[in-house]
Amino acid sequence: MNRRVLSLSAICAVGALALTACGSNGGGGGKSADGSVTLKLVAADYGDKATNASKLYWDEVAKGFEAANPKIKVDVQVINWNDIDTQVKTMIQSGNVPDVLQTGGYADKVADDLLYKASDVLSPATQSNFIDSFSKAGQVDGTQYGIPFVSSARAFFYNKTIFSKAGIAAPPTTWDEVKADAQIIKSKKLAATPYALPLGPEEAQGESMIWELGNNGGYTDDSGKYTINSQANIDTFSWLKTNLVDPGLTYANPATTDRKTAFADFAAGKVGMLNGHPSLIQMAKDGKVDYGVAPIPGKTGPLTSTLGVADWMMAFKKNGHQEQIKKFLDFAFSKENTLKFDEEYNLMPVTKDTLQEMTSSGKHKDLEPFFSLLPGAKFYPLGDTTWDAVSAEIKKSGGTAVKDDPAQVLGALQKKAEDAVANK
Amino acid sequence: MTHKSRSGLARLGPLPWIGPAVLLILVVVVWPVYEMVRTSFLKISTSGFVRGSAGTDKYQKLFDEPDFGHVLTWTVIWTLTVVGLTILISLGLAQLFNQQFPGRRVTRWALIAPWAASVLMTSIGFKWMLNQTAGVLNTAMTDLGLIDKPEDWLGDPSTAWPWMIFVAVFVSLPFTTYTLLAGLQTVPGEVYEAAKVDGTSTWQTYLRITLPLLRPALLVGVVINLINVFNSFPVIWGMTQGGPASDTATTTVFMYQLLNTDMGESAALSVVNFALVVVMVLFFLKVSRWNQEEGR
Repeated sequence: MNRRVLSLSAICAVGALALTACGSNGGGGGKSADGSVTLKLVAADYGDKATNASKLYWDEVAKGFEAANPKIKVDVQVINWNDIDTQVKTMIQSGNVPDVLQTGGYADKVADDLLYKASDVLSPATQSNFIDSFSKAGQVDGTQYGIPFVSSARAFFYNKTIFSKAGIAAPPTTWDEVKADAQIIKSKKLAATPYALPLGPEEAQGESMIWELGNNGGYTDDSGKYTINSQANIDTFSWLKTNLVDPGLTYANPATTDRKTAFADFAAGKVGMLNGHPSLIQMAKDGKVDYGVAPIPGKTGPLTSTLGVADWMMAFKKNGHQEQIKKFLDFAFSKENTLKFDEEYNLMPVTKDTLQEMTSSGKHKDLEPFFSLLPGAKFYPLGDTTWDAVSAEIKKSGGTAVKDDPAQVLGALQKKAEDAVANK
Repeated sequence: MTHKSRSGLARLGPLPWIGPAVLLILVVVVWPVYEMVRTSFLKISTSGFVRGSAGTDKYQKLFDEPDFGHVLTWTVIWTLTVVGLTILISLGLAQLFNQQFPGRRVTRWALIAPWAASVLMTSIGFKWMLNQTAGVLNTAMTDLGLIDKPEDWLGDPSTAWPWMIFVAVFVSLPFTTYTLLAGLQTVPGEVYEAAKVDGTSTWQTYLRITLPLLRPALLVGVVINLINVFNSFPVIWGMTQGGPASDTATTTVFMYQLLNTDMGESAALSVVNFALVVVMVLFFLKVSRWNQEEGR
């Protein structure tokens, strides 16, 4: 008996250890005998089913590019969002880096001098085609490294059916109106969650920043120093705590409620209002929810500039394929390709010609409230090389600021941010 | 004496037979442990780039984490509560399944179900059953009048802990019950007959005869469960991911949370966890040897 149990637990231990060792995978580009070069492209998967997987898109792009450039092969690897960060970390740690990477952030790679400057791998025509606010968000200390790929902006969504039943004529423009409207919806029992406040680990940093912007706060000051526990931010969370969370006008535990839950609830007609981005449009339509889009309410009036989010492309120096990468990126950022990608996933463009095309083609009426937000969008401190670490801390514990003492929670985050800066 | 005259080459004779096993152990056990310890002394940037040695900084940082204290406390409470409850309930269940009753075979099979199902699957199943808006358990409890309105059980640590302990006990019961049941079946019937002749009460028989004879099985159950529950990742990760913040994290889950912010610090916690498991394994080996000696 004992021996069998022993050997069983030994097998389990061996299995568990073997699993941890499976992280790395082979590959790595190089020059072959005939002088042709293989570029390794790693990209995130924006699809949600086999028929719209991003692998299909990138394979198509690679095929077109290889036809035009017979000496360059492109090796495409598409990884889902849950795993891409860890897998890229493992690639970098094991020295097996891609040539081109498309993912959510770039600045932490600049800190270790791993990336080409954008001007080294983009032709002047391609580089000047990016919308200025995005090019600027790709800069670290005034030099652009991050190449914007797709974007999205936040706006306020409300359920028109619930609002008309509640007798509310217009969407709220201030925090007090949000509270008043939520109280009406709650008292008439029109929605399980009058206002959806998702501060769970999925994207606490997004919802937090939107509310902080409403009180002229934010994560950094003009000089780029972290101000996570500024008075404006503490006041913002105190307001949320006493006016939305404590009276039960939102989820009971926002710190563990993820954005995808909030979106799903809105699409199921269980939420009166929330901050959303363009992907909510399709979900609401599928759920037959009659929705409206409005500017995000701030403390005293609607936000003039909203939160913009971008995903990034970057080129690694390690394999020395600068010329080939330049050719590939110029090809990948042609209007034809970017338009196809943006339309496939209902994402917002980052290039001027594609924005022009999407605004004027008349095919994207749904996105119109968002197009105008893009040029003035505010971003996370993306160019700060410590942002990824700070953002991870905010995701983990930022949401507890509406349950515990806001000053204490934000103070602890500020301390972690300052430590990260000190150990840069 | 003939052994001494063997040539060096002949002494390598057994190598082809044990070689693969030794190689396997080196590659899948020793090497990862070495890497883990090495990583805990490295400074690794958030992008995964190794910036050189960190000395013992990462251990220092780990012990200075504001959450570390309560994570450790919870790990101890979690392990002791889950193992304690599991053993108590299993003792009763094993006694029950040791009786003759119609349908015993079927109920014994049914007990295997929580064991056969993947723990992660069970945890995610419970997470959805407890979901505030769509969970079947919330609906059932509201309909039965046990609660006024659906609750967000897993969102608040004070209600999340009891539910996670419940699920952890639920998945630990089958193994423990079967271990104890096997133990019960080794108790010879004559001992009970002798006790009956001496006129002991049922309770006395249980305390004086059954429990002492059950000790080998009980010890195996306790120690294997201690290691298992201490390492239990899927129950907690599947239900709360250790959140809000690290309020429902044990050291194993906390290690995973740290991976997002500092790989070296996470590796330092792995080393601490590994040391604790080694201590438990040594304890187990000691206990099982003691068992065998007692058995003779």
